[in-house]
Amino acid sequence: MTTEVLLDTNTYLRLAKRIRPAVGRQFGQVPYVLIILKAVEDEVHQSSKLRFKNPWFDEPEFAQERMAKQVRLSAVDKSQIELVRDVLLGIVQLDIDKYTSNKRSPPGRTDCWLLAYGQVRDAIVATDDLGMHTLAAEAGLRVWHGYELLLKLKTAKVVDKQKVREIYEALEANDDLTETWRRAKHDQFAKIFGSKGSQ
Amino acid sequence: MQKAIHTENVKNAIRALGWTQKELAVQLGVTGQAVTNWMKGNDFPRPDKLLKLATTLKLGFGELVSVPKESVPVIAFRKKGGAKTTDEHVTKAMVMGALLKALVPFLPALPQLRRQVSAPPTDYDALQAVVAQVRKSLGLGEGAILHYEQLLSEFAENGAIVIPVMWGALQNHKNALHILLPQENVTFIFLNLDTHLEDFKFWMAHELAHVFTTELAGTDEGEDFADAFAGALLFPRELARKVYEQLAGQTKAHEAKVLKAFAHEHGISLYSVFAEVNRYVDSQGLPALKHVGTDIHAMRNAQRGKLVSENLFAPLPPEPAAYLAAAERQFQSSFFQALRRMVQEKQIGAGYIQQVMDIPMQDALALHGELTR
Repeated sequence: MTTEVLLDTNTYLRLAKRIRPAVGRQFGQVPYVLIILKAVEDEVHQSSKLRFKNPWFDEPEFAQERMAKQVRLSAVDKSQIELVRDVLLGIVQLDIDKYTSNKRSPPGRTDCWLLAYGQVRDAIVATDDLGMHTLAAEAGLRVWHGYELLLKLKTAKVVDKQKVREIYEALEANDDLTETWRRAKHDQFAKIFGSKGSQ
Repeated sequence: MQKAIHTENVKNAIRALGWTQKELAVQLGVTGQAVTNWMKGNDFPRPDKLLKLATTLKLGFGELVSVPKESVPVIAFRKKGGAKTTDEHVTKAMVMGALLKALVPFLPALPQLRRQVSAPPTDYDALQAVVAQVRKSLGLGEGAILHYEQLLSEFAENGAIVIPVMWGALQNHKNALHILLPQENVTFIFLNLDTHLEDFKFWMAHELAHVFTTELAGTDEGEDFADAFAGALLFPRELARKVYEQLAGQTKAHEAKVLKAFAHEHGISLYSVFAEVNRYVDSQGLPALKHVGTDIHAMRNAQRGKLVSENLFAPLPPEPAAYLAAAERQFQSSFFQALRRMVQEKQIGAGYIQQVMDIPMQDALALHGELTR
């Protein structure tokens, strides 16, 4: 019995190019399996900026891997996910101030759909979106930051120190290092990059 | 936001499962007293328990939670011809309304003395009387052209915030969206700039009618009045009479020429002029025009002019700074000033802008970059 780890668009784009294979990959003792949903495909294809920044996304190796590992949902799952998404969107609307401060954005329909998928399928959502983390904490859902996923992959020996360095270098070169990744660099990955005080 | 559990729906769902409140409490992992407090409205479940309540009883958010009517946004779409409004459109607009609530504290003080049309009429004479009053207050003489600036001033003076957006010319369901926040007493009006110039003034006048009839917003009656008001405001009885007088005893070709000339002069569509002359004809019991509606649509479709966005910006799409400047100067909108203050003070991400304006994320990121400069 595996536990699905659902990658949101940004997490997929931050990690999938350098962790091969990515989608469908099992790791850890649980074990976990990495999955993405069609929403990621749609989001990238609808954004010329994302396509421009990630030209590898549509290369056959990556596109075929995503297609082959598409999750097919039953009608019951879909209906449950829609109900949970509806409630999550409502929870955001009831306390909008909580989601409009400190660099957060209120989770939208797609965000809530991913979190709802996690709730219904007992999956973990990997995302760097702080609004989604806030909502997940409020609603008791399981989410990981992107760096937490990388940490688990390292513990499971899917990636080594060199790979972690490469990923950080790429994020910095693309100006794509979020605050949580930045803090984790000298905290969670202090053995690789040194602690903040030692810099 | 004040909220309470929808007691009746919960009771019915428990009954359908054959449970008691106590058994529900066990399922949710809370005390019986907690459930009792929710049902009495003395307390409201935390988000995790609310979610569990929903999934356990299979109730959607709207069935589970009741909120005071005045805290629910009222929405009205100005749909594109033939477009169908789905639940998804409504949900999206309601979310936009909820998000706009967070922006309200950042708006400048809005005028509280606002024009309201009570018992909005749709019969010809009464409607013309209402329109004559509005035109008079705008300083418009008989038959004078109503300009965009005058419409925009009316929005501002009546506490309505205009938000010019570029939602596209083709794959979009609506050309304007009206969101009234009753509790906050603010109206937001999204106007799609990717619409034909000749239609734009009509939509603005239509939205103005909603501002004057807040109690009818979101109803069919409100939509009917808004359509009738817009046509009459832009092309009132005196103008319709003037057109008709020029048509008497003339050919069909001459009729088309006169209708087109008036439409061009007033910056409105051929169909608007035709429709208003027809209403005048009906009210007076005069002989009908030589053209019928389908003729006018065919003529209009053969000569569609530029989009508003094409007139405002070259090249398209505009740089964020140019877009924000146009919103402020040409549309007299305080929306982006408020948004700038909110984004900077509360450090909100681009996702808020994307959702509140219903625009692609890449556009939201570009705007966010400009607003945080």
